[in-house]
Amino acid sequence: MGAPIAMAEPFLVAKGITKRFGALTALAGVDLEIRSGEVLALLGDNGAGKSTFIKVLAGAHAPSDGELLVEGRPVHFASPKDAAASGIATIFQELALSENLSIAENVFLGRELKRSVLGVPFLRRAEMKKRVEDLLVELDAHISDPTAAVGSLSGGQRQAVAICRALNLNARMVIMDEPTAALAVAETRKVLELTRRLAARGCAVVLISHNIADVFEVADRMVVFRRGRKVGERLRSETTPEEIVAFITGAHADVRALEKTK
Amino acid sequence: MIALGKMRGQNLILAILAALWVATIIGLSVLSPAMFNAGTVTNILQFSTILSLVALGQTLVILSGGAGIDLSIGGTVSLSAMLAMLAFKAGMPIVLVPPACILIGLALGAINGLLVTKLRILPLIATLGTLFIYSGTALAVTGGAAMSGVPAWMLAWGRGSISSLPLPFITIALPAFGIAGIVLLWTAWGRWIYAMGFNERSARLVGIPVDRVRLLIYMISGGLGGLGGLISLAWLGSGRPNIGQNLELESLTAAMLGGVAIVGGRGGVGGVLAAVLLLVTLKTGLLRLNVNTVWQVGVVGVLLIAVLIADRLTTHRR
Ligand SMILES: Nc1ncnc2c1ncn2[C@@H]1O[C@H](COP(=O)(O)OP(=O)(O)OP(=O)(O)O)[C@@H](O)[C@H]1O
Ligand SMILES: [Mg+2]
Repeated sequence: MGAPIAMAEPFLVAKGITKRFGALTALAGVDLEIRSGEVLALLGDNGAGKSTFIKVLAGAHAPSDGELLVEGRPVHFASPKDAAASGIATIFQELALSENLSIAENVFLGRELKRSVLGVPFLRRAEMKKRVEDLLVELDAHISDPTAAVGSLSGGQRQAVAICRALNLNARMVIMDEPTAALAVAETRKVLELTRRLAARGCAVVLISHNIADVFEVADRMVVFRRGRKVGERLRSETTPEEIVAFITGAHADVRALEKTK
Repeated sequence: MIALGKMRGQNLILAILAALWVATIIGLSVLSPAMFNAGTVTNILQFSTILSLVALGQTLVILSGGAGIDLSIGGTVSLSAMLAMLAFKAGMPIVLVPPACILIGLALGAINGLLVTKLRILPLIATLGTLFIYSGTALAVTGGAAMSGVPAWMLAWGRGSISSLPLPFITIALPAFGIAGIVLLWTAWGRWIYAMGFNERSARLVGIPVDRVRLLIYMISGGLGGLGGLISLAWLGSGRPNIGQNLELESLTAAMLGGVAIVGGRGGVGGVLAAVLLLVTLKTGLLRLNVNTVWQVGVVGVLLIAVLIADRLTTHRR
């Protein structure tokens, strides 16, 4: 899996990202590089700042300080739309799907294929359905009918729909916030498989998870957050679950040293 | 591409309304056999025209979510009719009265939309406030008196009918519902309205311009109110400051009866038109039977609750 890591130019570079909510500093000077074809896992205790960090990457929060570079160029995201234009798609912790619409409608929501008649954007339903059908087959998602309502799908299937959405946007980087949090074992397997498949297509994948076993199964690199700071970064081949847990809990010597300097 | 379950819900509501409507007609014609003739049909449709237009606006506002509701709609109907007639009395050419009604309606709707989307005032409160302002102003401009002087050509349209179907109903109300139905089902805009009505956060995350759509929908609701005002002028021959009274409650009832979920994101316009016809048939029938108005209101309330219970039961079984 993680062979080309050292070679590749990073897709995204975050430099000194800081985010304050009033008096609370949710992120303090986070530096991070994310490469294409690589699954990067973000770990950390509740409230460590993982979700806040990816919201900055996704354009949902503007950083209070720091800089983002996409393929070497500085970017400023005012909204998720800007991030999407730079090829970054996000699957948020609270899945952003509309349960009253169909799978195909959700995949295309906000960027529907349309045929303009007198300026009225009529939907090209057959084409959208076909495209989603192809994506579902490609992902081997075991969903046969793209016109089914999202409300009738299982948690894992919803993740698959959200991933389809990201792929359909031609995303170069896909961010997933706890995609397996609410899933049973078989569904978790499926979503982890989807994650690897995304990376194999050349996407950069950022994954947040609290499940160390899952992370070791799927991630090439791991980054641990603690109280808004990046306290550890390891290649999977160079670390153990015990070391990562020590980073998360703050028992690791590196974390102690870091927290003393503060 | 709508989910089968939802279609079933919509069809179920249409079926219930149709059954209730048939039951109402049978019941009323047993009680008063002379009641139903072509004249009554024309009469019912005439009364339905204004209500159906404002119920359509109400439906769009509710569908698009964000606790959307337009309580000011009756005030919009009254005020657009009164201001257009006032402008005519002040020297505006009479041919401009119809567009003036619509433009005034759009402007009044825009005020609601701005209060809701820019100042972030809860729609219930914002439109309750503008209801008092609009209906109060409608009364104040003439001190409560009606304004006559509607020309014959407008009356010819407002009171005319083709094979007992009133002209305003077939030239305005039916096309308005047709267009709304097509937009909701077959265009990207329709998908956006359903998406933001059901889950506003996700709609914003996928980049739907939620506030702009919502502002536009309040404007459309106002514009439909303006059309209602115009029809009231052409039908009654004068601008009446209280013509819109109770329309907010009746339009709300029609929307709920027609299967529109009060929280937004679910429902369609077909059921609402059916609900308007049922409500007006019932009211007309009870009026003809000389039933006390208190009971008329009570019957509508019972109907509303019955349909909501039926809807709740079927939703739970799914
Ligand atoms: N919009 C906000 N306004 C104020 N504070 C916020 C906001 N979003 C997050 N925070 C705070 O920032 C800190 C980091 O939160 P964040 O959601 O990033 O944690 P997390 O690492 O994702 O945790 P979890 O594992 O529980 O999802 C927390 O203290 C949280 O309360
Ligand atoms: Mg989180």
